[in-house]
Amino acid sequence: MTNHCCGPGYASPAEAMRAPREKLLYTIAIYTGTGIQKPDYLCTIDVDPESSTYSQVVSRLQMPGIGDELHHMGWNACSSCHGNASMERRYLIVPGVRSTNLHIVDCATDPRNPTLFKVIDGAEIKTRTNLSAPHTVHCLGSDIIISMLGDAQGNAPGGYLQLNKEFEIVGRWENSMGSIKFGYDFWYQPRHNVMVSSEWAAPNTFMPGFDLEEVGHLKYGREIHFWDFETKEPKQTFYLGEDGLLPLEVRFHHNPDSSHGFVGAALSANIIHWWKDPAGDWQWEKIVDVGNEPHPEWPIPIPGVISVILLSMDDRYLYLCNWLHGDIRQYDISDPHNAKLTGQVWMGGLLGRAPEVNGVKVTGGPQMIQLSLDGKRLYVTTSLFSTWDNQFYPEIRTNGGCMLMVNCDTENGGMEIDPRYVVDFGKEPNGPSRCHETRYPGGDCTSDIWV
Amino acid sequence: MTSFTITLANQGGAAFDVDHRKPLLQSLREQGVDLPYGCKYGGCITCAAKIISGKVSQKAQRALNNRQINNGYIILCVARPMSDCTLEVGVESHDKLYRNPFLDPLAAHELKADIATPLEAKK
Repeated sequence: MTNHCCGPGYASPAEAMRAPREKLLYTIAIYTGTGIQKPDYLCTIDVDPESSTYSQVVSRLQMPGIGDELHHMGWNACSSCHGNASMERRYLIVPGVRSTNLHIVDCATDPRNPTLFKVIDGAEIKTRTNLSAPHTVHCLGSDIIISMLGDAQGNAPGGYLQLNKEFEIVGRWENSMGSIKFGYDFWYQPRHNVMVSSEWAAPNTFMPGFDLEEVGHLKYGREIHFWDFETKEPKQTFYLGEDGLLPLEVRFHHNPDSSHGFVGAALSANIIHWWKDPAGDWQWEKIVDVGNEPHPEWPIPIPGVISVILLSMDDRYLYLCNWLHGDIRQYDISDPHNAKLTGQVWMGGLLGRAPEVNGVKVTGGPQMIQLSLDGKRLYVTTSLFSTWDNQFYPEIRTNGGCMLMVNCDTENGGMEIDPRYVVDFGKEPNGPSRCHETRYPGGDCTSDIWV
Repeated sequence: MTSFTITLANQGGAAFDVDHRKPLLQSLREQGVDLPYGCKYGGCITCAAKIISGKVSQKAQRALNNRQINNGYIILCVARPMSDCTLEVGVESHDKLYRNPFLDPLAAHELKADIATPLEAKK
């Protein structure tokens, strides 16, 4: 039962799992880099199977200008604010990675038709904080912090932008970046007074596209950082080396008492697990190693490129996407030291295992995922980032991206692509667009943190 | 002010007089040309255009590797004209901008300027 006396979200992960089924999704779609001179936009998608518009985009909120490259987004409030009745999960903060603009979108007044509430201009953020290229948004129980991947000129390491709950710029959140070279994703686990951050690259390095040689020149990340969350300073760095090239999505267990967490190393195609040992020291190990796959036309085998990972709300299953191979995998991580493969489905990818799904040609591969709170429905999109799409899947310019849904067996493990659900972004009214991150009005498996 | 004429070869040869002190993106947009762009600091490649003739200064660009520069690409949000120029603009001009990095690697002299090995320095 949701306790209506309290603030947003849920008292615990277990309570979140009992929440009503999601009926709407919010997914960003981009025209940046596609040749279509229209703004990127936020789609509202109907996922109520009883509805006549099931599996369709029911509204589109265009951003004010072109060239944002909407990418990730986050709520103004989550379960970290559950004890505060004055807070409300009402606004999505939708950053433009390229423009640095932050769009504050009201999703509560009319959930089927979100509206733009406020824009924080990228130029103002650059001038006041010397930061650019916003990525991950997390609410901290009142204020909001956003990982910013560059300084105002696109150089690494950037830092963290803090907004107050009225969406005013407070300034830089961190007291020091220490010796951190790059930024990307982060997640905090307050009962352990820790935040973990990962590394992509400087905006000037990753935004124009992927030059493989720059990995060898140390222009891409291979470290993760453990922060003292209260003093806002990095305390310890793990050098992951060849096992941890491009460590991207960071996920702690949802259980707020747990110290276990995971990061997907995209180029190494590994899952790295960390935890606090009985002596109170942080440890790490590799628990999944996706092998490279041969391709008849490639001189070297293709790496999986793990573009995202996600944990179910009960922390039992870890999902990952191999964007270049074209598979989504489900691992049982009940024992986080021993990940057991329990499910796998294919869509798109370069290996040609599933070029068409539910009547739609899949251009790109499984890329960004969002899991229902009960763990049974996994929504999947296919575009990674406009410039990288253009390198690996150039046909996406004319085909657009697509969204599929995977039914997940939470009892015995296993996954199946739902035959009824597909959203073809190749048929959007202004031309083919590309879909990326998804969130639900009631919170989801990558937004809520318990304090 | 010194002004130069910028001709857009793939927009019917439309020509615009521009101030040599301003970035080309700004000058052309102020005159109503609809162009793609993103970061406005020379780092993201979204506004890349191909120079067919003429010369620009683009010292602030950080997005292009040397192969892209040798293929004629310029970054309009920071490039300033040093002569009359003819350009191809927009995604239509991006035929040589993107490549699969695994299938078509860069030679040491084709990397971005800060890490490239100049050809003449090689033995």
